Amino acid sequence: MSGPPPIEARGVRKVFRQATTGQSVVAIERLDMTIAPREVVAIVGQTGCGKSTFFDLLIGLEAPTEGSLQIGDKSPFADFDHFRGRIATVFQQDRLLPWRSALDNARLPLELIGLPEAEQRERALTWLNKLGLGNFTNAYPHELSGGMRQRVAIARAFAVQPDILLADEAFGHLDEVTAAELRDTFLKLARECGSTAVLITHQLEEAIGVGDRIVVFGKSAKLLADIHVAQWPKARHGELREAIQATLQGNAPDPRLQTKA
Amino acid sequence: MPHESTGHAEHRDSVLDLTFPRHTLVSLAVFAVCWELLSYLAPVLGIPPFAIPSFVKIAKSLATITPVDIVVTLARVIGALLASFVLGLALAMAMYRSESLEKYLHPMIRLLMAVPVVSWILFAVLWFPGVEFRIGFVLVVVCGPVFLIDTLDAMRGVPRELRSMMRSFRPTTLQYFIKLMLPAIVPSIFTSWKVNISLAIRVVTIAELVGAVTGIGHQLSVAQELFSVADVFAWTLVLVALLFLLEAAVVRVETRLLRWRV
Repeated sequence: MSGPPPIEARGVRKVFRQATTGQSVVAIERLDMTIAPREVVAIVGQTGCGKSTFFDLLIGLEAPTEGSLQIGDKSPFADFDHFRGRIATVFQQDRLLPWRSALDNARLPLELIGLPEAEQRERALTWLNKLGLGNFTNAYPHELSGGMRQRVAIARAFAVQPDILLADEAFGHLDEVTAAELRDTFLKLARECGSTAVLITHQLEEAIGVGDRIVVFGKSAKLLADIHVAQWPKARHGELREAIQATLQGNAPDPRLQTKA
Repeated sequence: MPHESTGHAEHRDSVLDLTFPRHTLVSLAVFAVCWELLSYLAPVLGIPPFAIPSFVKIAKSLATITPVDIVVTLARVIGALLASFVLGLALAMAMYRSESLEKYLHPMIRLLMAVPVVSWILFAVLWFPGVEFRIGFVLVVVCGPVFLIDTLDAMRGVPRELRSMMRSFRPTTLQYFIKLMLPAIVPSIFTSWKVNISLAIRVVTIAELVGAVTGIGHQLSVAQELFSVADVFAWTLVLVALLFLLEAAVVRVETRLLRWRV
């Protein structure tokens, strides 16, 4: 079985024109980066640094103004339909459809790829069970807690067994205990599925705890640091966190990260 | 853990609460007593006796109600509402998809909505020879824009977060509408139906007054020509009952389809 394709951004630039003023805003100045198959990459950066724009480019909701973003040999924007069932997303809010039960929400992407109904139900049930929601399959979103709703959203993303999993601040709004638990589950399931995972977060603990790599974005998605977490022993994670923090505050790579790189 | 929830059963019970409110009963009874008193006192007060008929006379008029007129009016209302709904929904979907179409059509729709019902009836009489077509035209031209505007507003109100979530899973255009847009606008569609039922009942009566030889509006016209207030009262009661029944039917379907709501 072939694994997920690599993600390659080459000279990606994204400019938005503001509707009200007509002025151009550079969200991404120039981005070059590669994400290897099955890698778990955490992207961190301050608010407005272009993380979410990059996320939209990865999903294929936006096209780069210049440069190219390829997943394998396809563009997620130009070859939008090619990635049906191959890319799945977990958002900051659960974004469940309120008129669907947990089971029906989890099987939504399976309906879209046209699986037979029995298989849809079976696969959705399997993932809901893996996420500990076996007893809540018929519950509507308003009957579930925030953590449970986010579990359904994760089950929905995993149900298609995607090549690429994208998570945008997926655990940021949950309490720390629930968030930590869900992060571990997410990571375990991503490894189990063999998916490439890209997580966007502003929480450094989360990035260090989850990512194989941490990519630090400065203003306009300038690549400030690209850290392989395995190079930092667990005992020095505190120092790593401080170094990333200093990088973000100074909008320039901290010397400790350069040494390691 | 799940939130403390009222649960489906409790929610359904509250929606289908059929206990008759005491206040309604009292106000209806007071009105009935006053009416009956007035009907007896009318000659003393200098009011013509036919103007305020007693309940006995109204009951006699109710007994002579012809069901075929009720069925005809009901069929006109339901048929026109269905046609208006399909037309309104289709146009709203097209306008939602095409910004330029919306820019061209929106002012025209607003203009149509500003035209008084009486003007539409006169236009219909002048333009079309067939009675049924006239009535259908007036109902559709009055109710259709309401469905259209409500549906379009509801589509625009679908949260951006849900739309981008749906798009991230790459649905086809048809899947996007069937799986997201339609279920999301169902609550607004029901509200629109309830508004339009009331509107259609009133408009159909006026439309039937002009030229129709069947239907409740026609019967009201006959009663007016005969100076029979009891008949007018009886047919009006039938209209009110029809309105309540249709609304109750819509609420029943709404409760069933929207059971997911808190």
